[in-house]
Amino acid sequence: MTNETSKVIPIQPVSYSRSRQAGESQDVLDHIIDDFQDNPESMQYFYDLFRSVYCHGDEIKHEGMLVGTTCIQAPEELIYAFGATPMRLCNGSYHYDQKGAEFMPSKSCSLVKATLGMLNSDNVIPKIGKPDMIVNPTTCDQKKKSSSMMGDMGYKVYDLEFPNVKESEASRQYWQRSVRQFATELRQLTGRKLTKKGLQAAFNKTGRAQAAFRKLHSYRLLSPSIILGKDIFLVTNAYFFDDITRWTEKVEALNVELEARKQAGFKAVQSKAPRVLFTGSPPIFPNLKLPLLIEEAGGVVVADESCSANRMLYDMTAVDEWMVNDMVDSLADKYLKPCTCPIFTKNEDRKRRLLDLVKSFDADGVVYQAFSGCQVYEMEYRSVAEAFNQAGIPMLYVETDYSPDDKGQLSTRIEAFLESMKNRKKQKQRALG
Amino acid sequence: MNYFAGIDVGSTAIKVAVVNETGDIAGVHVTASGSLFHKNSLEALNMLLSNLGLKRTDIRYLIATGYGRKLFKEADDSISEITANAIGAFEAGKAFGGVRTIINIGGQDSKAIQIDDTGNVVNFAMNDKCAAGTGRFLDVAARNLDLDLEELGEYHFKSEVAPLNINSTCTVFAESEIIGLLANGHGKAEIIAGIHYSIASRTVRLAKRVGIEDRVYFDGGPALNKGLVAALQDELGRELVIPEHPQTTTAFGAAILARNEFEAEQSLVPA
Repeated sequence: MTNETSKVIPIQPVSYSRSRQAGESQDVLDHIIDDFQDNPESMQYFYDLFRSVYCHGDEIKHEGMLVGTTCIQAPEELIYAFGATPMRLCNGSYHYDQKGAEFMPSKSCSLVKATLGMLNSDNVIPKIGKPDMIVNPTTCDQKKKSSSMMGDMGYKVYDLEFPNVKESEASRQYWQRSVRQFATELRQLTGRKLTKKGLQAAFNKTGRAQAAFRKLHSYRLLSPSIILGKDIFLVTNAYFFDDITRWTEKVEALNVELEARKQAGFKAVQSKAPRVLFTGSPPIFPNLKLPLLIEEAGGVVVADESCSANRMLYDMTAVDEWMVNDMVDSLADKYLKPCTCPIFTKNEDRKRRLLDLVKSFDADGVVYQAFSGCQVYEMEYRSVAEAFNQAGIPMLYVETDYSPDDKGQLSTRIEAFLESMKNRKKQKQRALG
Repeated sequence: MNYFAGIDVGSTAIKVAVVNETGDIAGVHVTASGSLFHKNSLEALNMLLSNLGLKRTDIRYLIATGYGRKLFKEADDSISEITANAIGAFEAGKAFGGVRTIINIGGQDSKAIQIDDTGNVVNFAMNDKCAAGTGRFLDVAARNLDLDLEELGEYHFKSEVAPLNINSTCTVFAESEIIGLLANGHGKAEIIAGIHYSIASRTVRLAKRVGIEDRVYFDGGPALNKGLVAALQDELGRELVIPEHPQTTTAFGAAILARNEFEAEQSLVPA
């Protein structure tokens, strides 16, 4: 029934760059760039990249078929070897977190909610196009159960079976079989064969990227720091979706600039700035809430143990025999043996890695982030805390999610933590002097 | 004589403390935060100064702490309320033979802090996000029960039956739970005792996360509530140290720090 006073108001389309979703990224990016001094010039490429992809919604181009990955345990070398492009789908947007909460349990982890919220959206940002396949490693429970949800959304999903125990030989063989099976699946998808040459080229591609990252990582050993952690997280986040060759070149350029900074004795922070090791649930743009709070309060993130940064790029493949089957097995080993994800029953390696990072990067303390609902990180906190406690290293445990509403409380906790580290250091020096 | 001040701009109240050169309290002042944090902070400081007969220039160093610390540009420096609280409790605790664990309940958060034998923060925990188990919770409950906040303490001891269970951790849900209990004919006293025990058990859980050592120092506005103190002591199974001015421990800590910073800066100046 209509009359002259009542009418249907049509939807006014809002361009992406003016949407609240773009605004979220815009705010974080402005903060990263404008609220800190002395940003490296070579970071401009990454700032522009995130501006284009997240704030303007520009399209990301790729070669061959597109294979989305929901976890770092999906061997990207194999995807490259079939001429396809891997794209890490793990998402850090609060906007998508809320979209995901429309159909997922409210207590599930922000990362999984945001990733599924994004995939279920009409307007997927980063604009990558529809993946030809999504490979979903069966790591944590929430990712496992996401598989059928993504299937229901109309995606072709491949479950890459992953073991729960790391140390056993049975697990190792199971995982190697699983990776071989994945290769078979990729052959069917792409219609191409796996060759020694193709795999070697893929190893070279990722190997060069890893070498650039390791070099970048080594500049973080310097004290006082010459680069801030917020920039490193942006660089490693870009690896999720950027063209790998271009990414590598840009990191190499950054390394050249950092070498010059090193030679010039440049300082990016005050010499007394507490050095922080970051571990736990992965910071993914635009959710860089915690690292930014640390650095705003005068600390510096000098190293991390997380699957969005260090764990993704640090370990290299060690090949014994350059035969296709042996290469695939070596690749599988690289993804299992050094993995410090808390989904495993035991995790002595993670503790060892953390203590080692504290030592080599001369960290004054550790910040442990657990996303609310990420049971494995929440539960593993106890044993990690115990290890640090024994070693006399202070740690701050923060349970949080993508929502910005706890920033006020978190900043108080972080400042108090940094203050206590400074005091501890002063006391130590006094005792020595 | 030189004086030093600490101002704790909290979510509910603004607390000011002034100490002299030897670190003794010259005076304290507490006022409601209201919505104009900065204006009310300045007024609170000036009020205390005029009460003490001091001029602004007598204050040689001023440190701000609390939620509004960054807004108070008149301060020489700012410090987080956790560090300030630790310093204040360490100093004030000396009179009681020293303290190692601090429980603070504020207007919108609660904290447990562990300090070492020199007063440094070793470990701390803070409630997450919501107002469960904080002063705000008491505020809401008092309003529901048609009582003044100050009356809650005495009502606690009037109860002749076991305290009721208040199960909701959310302040808003607890409000409806209290209304439900009143509608079922329960008396105010047993409800109030229940509220105090509910806050106490949450707080003890928080404190256990940081580890409880030695004497426990309890401060913040809710420490003025004797009923809550009794419930907390019962849940904790330990004696509590309640300072003379529980609300101003953090401001006092900031004032002590102001004194120390001033001295450190003076000693850098060549004679």
